[in-house]
Amino acid sequence: MKDVIVIGSGIAGMSCAVRCAQMGVHVTLVSPFPSERSQSVMAAGGINAVLPEPEEGDSIASHIADTLKGSGYLAGEKAVTGLCEGAGGIIAFLERIGTVFSRDASGRPMRRAFGGQSHKRTYYCGASTGKQIVSALVMEVRRFEAAGLIERKLRCCFHSALIRDGACYGALLFDETSWQLISLCADALVIATGGQNALFGKTTGSTQCDGYAAGRLFMQGAVLKNLEFIQYHPTTLETPQKKMLVSEAARGEGGRLFYLENGRRVYFMEDKFGPGGNLMTRDVVSREICRTGKEVFLDVSFLGRKAIDERLPEVRDLCARYRGIDIAKDPIPVVPSVHFFMGGLAVHLNHETSIRDLFAIGECASMYHGANRLGGNSLLAALYSGFVAAEEIAARPGKESWPDFSGDLKREEAALKLGMSSESSFPVMYIRDMLAETMRDHLGIVRSEESLAKGLEEIDYYLSVAERIRYDSSVLPYFNYSITGILTIARATLQCARARTESRGAHIRSDYPETDPGRQFATLVSFDQGGCRVWLDKEHIYES
Amino acid sequence: MKVKILRQQFPSSEPYWEIFEYDGPENNSVAGVLDYINYHDDIADITGRKTTRIGWECSCLQGICGSCAMVINGRPALACETFVKDLKGKDIEIRPLQKFPVIKDLITDRSSIQENLMKTNIYIGEYQPSGEEEHLHQYTAAKCLKCGLCLEVCPNYVDGRTFYGAAFANDCYLVSARNHTKAKEIGKVYDAHFGNACSKSLSCMDVCPMNIPTIASVARLNRK
Repeated sequence: MKDVIVIGSGIAGMSCAVRCAQMGVHVTLVSPFPSERSQSVMAAGGINAVLPEPEEGDSIASHIADTLKGSGYLAGEKAVTGLCEGAGGIIAFLERIGTVFSRDASGRPMRRAFGGQSHKRTYYCGASTGKQIVSALVMEVRRFEAAGLIERKLRCCFHSALIRDGACYGALLFDETSWQLISLCADALVIATGGQNALFGKTTGSTQCDGYAAGRLFMQGAVLKNLEFIQYHPTTLETPQKKMLVSEAARGEGGRLFYLENGRRVYFMEDKFGPGGNLMTRDVVSREICRTGKEVFLDVSFLGRKAIDERLPEVRDLCARYRGIDIAKDPIPVVPSVHFFMGGLAVHLNHETSIRDLFAIGECASMYHGANRLGGNSLLAALYSGFVAAEEIAARPGKESWPDFSGDLKREEAALKLGMSSESSFPVMYIRDMLAETMRDHLGIVRSEESLAKGLEEIDYYLSVAERIRYDSSVLPYFNYSITGILTIARATLQCARARTESRGAHIRSDYPETDPGRQFATLVSFDQGGCRVWLDKEHIYES
Repeated sequence: MKVKILRQQFPSSEPYWEIFEYDGPENNSVAGVLDYINYHDDIADITGRKTTRIGWECSCLQGICGSCAMVINGRPALACETFVKDLKGKDIEIRPLQKFPVIKDLITDRSSIQENLMKTNIYIGEYQPSGEEEHLHQYTAAKCLKCGLCLEVCPNYVDGRTFYGAAFANDCYLVSARNHTKAKEIGKVYDAHFGNACSKSLSCMDVCPMNIPTIASVARLNRK
């Protein structure tokens, strides 16, 4: 029987594990926490699909066209076509495993409008679509755990991949229970670790998603893609502990954005883009909010308490609990905040990275969203990419032999021991905080050469420090050994942003405000003797 | 403001109290307080003695992942949605959940929740609902965070060896509602690990961060 290791047990990781198990492939599902703690539970709005009896005029071709347009024409057409054509099957699968979709009086799943889409095609479960999908998938995983096909490994963190001659043979994991590194061989390794949130400190997402796996794999030879495209969600609520997402569903249900001028409401999105202005794509809305230079509000109060209770209860509760705002009475003060990373590990159509038998799925893979992701397409891509990778793995012949990695294990064990052998007066968490400050200052919604260069200088300093410090013994070894990988992906991100001398989608340059048709290609970046090599994918290597 | 925390360095070591001074924002949550004590500066207790950073878990920081379940001023709660300004008294006392083994400080091993569901085959298998489905209650029951707060407060739950508690009952409901051919099998394990021993104190419902009306799941399961 073939063996696969899946790192990360959110929606992408679980969908891959379930699909592998369905085809008789044994899966070791690795994560520090159970799936209920994954970032996937935070996905609020919904999942896009064109099902039989769509909204009048809608079609799979429209879903493809909207996704490509939203992506600034950087997403590959073949990949997006596969995604949109596969959406119906994904929804059917989700219903079959018991996902509780919101339904109309006749029992059919309901759909809502989402930004940048020509038709209503976002199916949803109240305002906790991600959580409902996670709950259903956890049960489905359990079914295959009972059958011995999926084995969960909890309290385990990714350390590095076992790579020899351009092929992957498994992974080194750090076991938090024994505080030991363990070496695990497999026919394929699948990375499903989410976005690189930690680059920006606390984002709308989970504190657990930090970009380390992608950063470490980059240092081990994997090519990364489109790192400069970072989605700022236009509507988040500031609280003392983080900026919390106010779901796009609030605008999908009719919510209006405005600012105050001399006591009068200016509905700036509607003024500029017409009646559908509030539902422009996230990159456009964030940019426009930023341009107002004013405090912006989102109003849903006119919907009335009954409609809010029925359709936006989670938004209502969030605003009441964390800010004491009654959204049926008062508008919600909103600010854009880092929400999603369109960039990540470069993958081919089958979700294999530049390293053979190393796959990436979900947010850590860069594939379907180009320069900007449409709301409702990330849950779809998480599930779809898991299926695609699983089917590819199942179709391949298993490995016949594995090289000896005992030397790698010994070397990494020695490095870890050395790091843990003394206390640092410059704890790693401060470096993480400084990194976040640098990224927020120099890789905001609007970037410039001057600012990016300054950011790079700061990260180079942190990298030089990180290599010299000993570990902070009062935090988990993971936080210590992960810092170099995180700083390295941050550095690569700034390099990609610097190299893209145009404005496109979520990447806005004050010094290059126009879109350059000659740059309608994905950015690729590889680790080259400690530095980065950045180039455009003019041959479309990662669209096949 | 004083923050008193029950600490424990290793699973096998002795717990001990440590007191910290908190002078951060008043509108912070307890999660924010822990973050502030840990990383605002080098960490020292109230006497100025240097100490180790406080272990605790978080992921979403907005009450939907269940990581940061702990006991705050005697009440089991999520740290990220318990606010300093709402707490009675001038000091805060924090301890780990007591019904689960401590890994470090406020981090506990709650894996028995999932293991019990595994042992008793709580999964749907083939989707075969019987008649009209109650989507609203299913939606609410499926929001369970598996955070363990309901088990911490429950007078019947000891250590999860025989009585599995409300988190188990709600998942039993979900399976029996979605696959009527499994209802009988589920009924048996439900009786053995919940139905026969629940004394209906309903304290689980008082502390549930998702406001799951477990009594509604119980009523439906008892009907069968």
